[in-house]
Amino acid sequence: MKKIVKALALSGIVACSLFASDVVKVGVQAPITGKYANEGQSIDNFVKLLVDEKNKEGGLLGKKIEVVTCDDEAKAQKAAVCAKKLVNAGVFAVIGSYTSGATEAAQTTYYRNKVLQTSDGTSDSLIKKKYWTFFRNSFPNEAQSDFTADYFVNVKKYQKIVVLSDYSSYSNGLGDATENSIKKIGGNVIFRGKIKSGTQNFTAVLTKIKAMNPDVIYYSGYYTDGGLLRAQQLQLGINADFVGGDSNDNPDFYKLAGKASAGTIIINFPTPEILPYKEAKKYLSAYKREFGANPPSIWPVTNADGLRAIFEAAEKTNSLDTKTISDYIRNTMKDFPGITGPFNIREDGERVGAKFVVYKLNDNGTKDVVEQ
Amino acid sequence: MDIFLQQLINGLTIGSLYALVALGYTMVYGVMKLINFAHGDLVAFSAYVGLTIFSQLFGSSASSFVNVIIIFVLTSIIVAFVGVLLERLAYRPLRTAPRLSAVVSALGASLVIQNGIMLIWGPNMQIFPADLLPNTTWNFGGVIITFTQLCILILSAVLMAALFIFINKTKMGTAIRATAIDQDAAKLMGINVNKVITLIFIIGSMLGAIGGLFIGLYYRALTFDMGWLYGLNAFIAAIIGGIGSIPGAMIGGLLLGLFNALIAGYISTEWAETFTFILLIIILIVRPTGILGEKTAEKV
Repeated sequence: MKKIVKALALSGIVACSLFASDVVKVGVQAPITGKYANEGQSIDNFVKLLVDEKNKEGGLLGKKIEVVTCDDEAKAQKAAVCAKKLVNAGVFAVIGSYTSGATEAAQTTYYRNKVLQTSDGTSDSLIKKKYWTFFRNSFPNEAQSDFTADYFVNVKKYQKIVVLSDYSSYSNGLGDATENSIKKIGGNVIFRGKIKSGTQNFTAVLTKIKAMNPDVIYYSGYYTDGGLLRAQQLQLGINADFVGGDSNDNPDFYKLAGKASAGTIIINFPTPEILPYKEAKKYLSAYKREFGANPPSIWPVTNADGLRAIFEAAEKTNSLDTKTISDYIRNTMKDFPGITGPFNIREDGERVGAKFVVYKLNDNGTKDVVEQ
Repeated sequence: MDIFLQQLINGLTIGSLYALVALGYTMVYGVMKLINFAHGDLVAFSAYVGLTIFSQLFGSSASSFVNVIIIFVLTSIIVAFVGVLLERLAYRPLRTAPRLSAVVSALGASLVIQNGIMLIWGPNMQIFPADLLPNTTWNFGGVIITFTQLCILILSAVLMAALFIFINKTKMGTAIRATAIDQDAAKLMGINVNKVITLIFIIGSMLGAIGGLFIGLYYRALTFDMGWLYGLNAFIAAIIGGIGSIPGAMIGGLLLGLFNALIAGYISTEWAETFTFILLIIILIVRPTGILGEKTAEKV
């Protein structure tokens, strides 16, 4: 009898401890170091903030959530390594990465292992594979390029347009999409060039552009090169307008361009500070309280929305099965109140309902909304 | 025509920076027959040191010429000290070892410096203030020269001329040249080879430091891995000019800068780097010792 009681008690303890160790893991794949470190760190921060909140509420479906972070340095090779690492760690969903290139390099691994992945990467190629595991928490390049083309041709009436990008799949994709959108509505693209990100010296291509006497230079790459391009453009006496795509929207753009940033136009989603939604006010003030500053851009916020959508789907379906969650997000979820606005995902994983804003930078680092 | 001249100015500016850095490679190779792969990272390090000196000493006060000169002097001294330390720790113990060991040690030192920069200053991009030097520009019939560009062109020309005179006209310069030809024979003639090597590292590091500061002033964005970019280009410049030859490094640097600017301006920006390597390969085939490199006859 004693033995049976003992055995029962023991099995009870074992069962209890098994239940207690039952955690659910969420992965973060982001550039924690490297050129885009401040974006990546902010994605990681935001995920941890949301997970802390969830854990305080009792976790996800009664299980404690654990965050596993992997630094991909925004490089494709590292991203592939991260994907393996996070899958081995047993995560059920991965947030990230910041760049389309790193996201794409990891996609197949997550798909094969049935791990959910959500990224702010806007390159059109991310959706082409139609993986059920992947959905995008930001808006595609084509939505932005149509908006940009309309602004250039119909609002600003630019006659001679130069489109520049770098070689990354995001920037190159956005550059091509913008060129096509402009041509589609009858605009005149006089030059479509590429720069190598990180080379710092863009005077050669800018001098070439100077001879064409353009009305506007559109740059679809990242802020680290955009700020320098703008500064070198003015140094060379090219008086064209400078318009940056969404990834130029970062405080470092102003630091790089200095006084030259005055008059720069940036086309992006609404930035975190001006998001009008109830959730935005709540989560952004929580973020600021925790980390002492706003997120550097909209991207960590869209990634946070991706994670919130996954939490919501898991709770509504009462399941941690990734296929069930994916189906719910694609088919059942309608107008989920995101921090960045109503959150809807199409069958192929695309977020729909894009909204863009035109900003103009001032010479002291502030910016004004020009058009909404 | 003004577009061509503008490309020339752009090319000469970046070429001067390559030349300043290339001198460090070529002098070390000339004397020690060692490619100092850590030199590029030392250049990146100097830009960070300069930025820190600026923000610690003059962060709040208005920028002035005196401040800029103080930054240049202090940075050069600190980087020269690190350069000497590098030679003591990474190269001197291996001086009699097979040459491959020294090369591996150089690559290791490069990683140490690069990761050291990341640990000290963090992985995020650091940005030089915009108005350290005046933002004046001059317009000569459409050709634009900025104040910073002019500083780079003039100061690097002066430094290179001074170095050339020092090497060719002074007693110490003669000792350096003698050591470059034959270390053992130089020792027999009473030259202190250790002192010569230390001096080489001081001069090379100082020139690299000035190059690094100019890179910071001109391009403003600093990343911990930027040493690789400038190091590689300067290394190619040194090879094109003839590694080991001081005028060769100057000519190689200027040529590479011009070549890059013209290819990017007239053929394609996408292919500028590819053409750089094609040029390097052609030079290595046609003239393996570089433009000014000397052929050394094998003695039997």
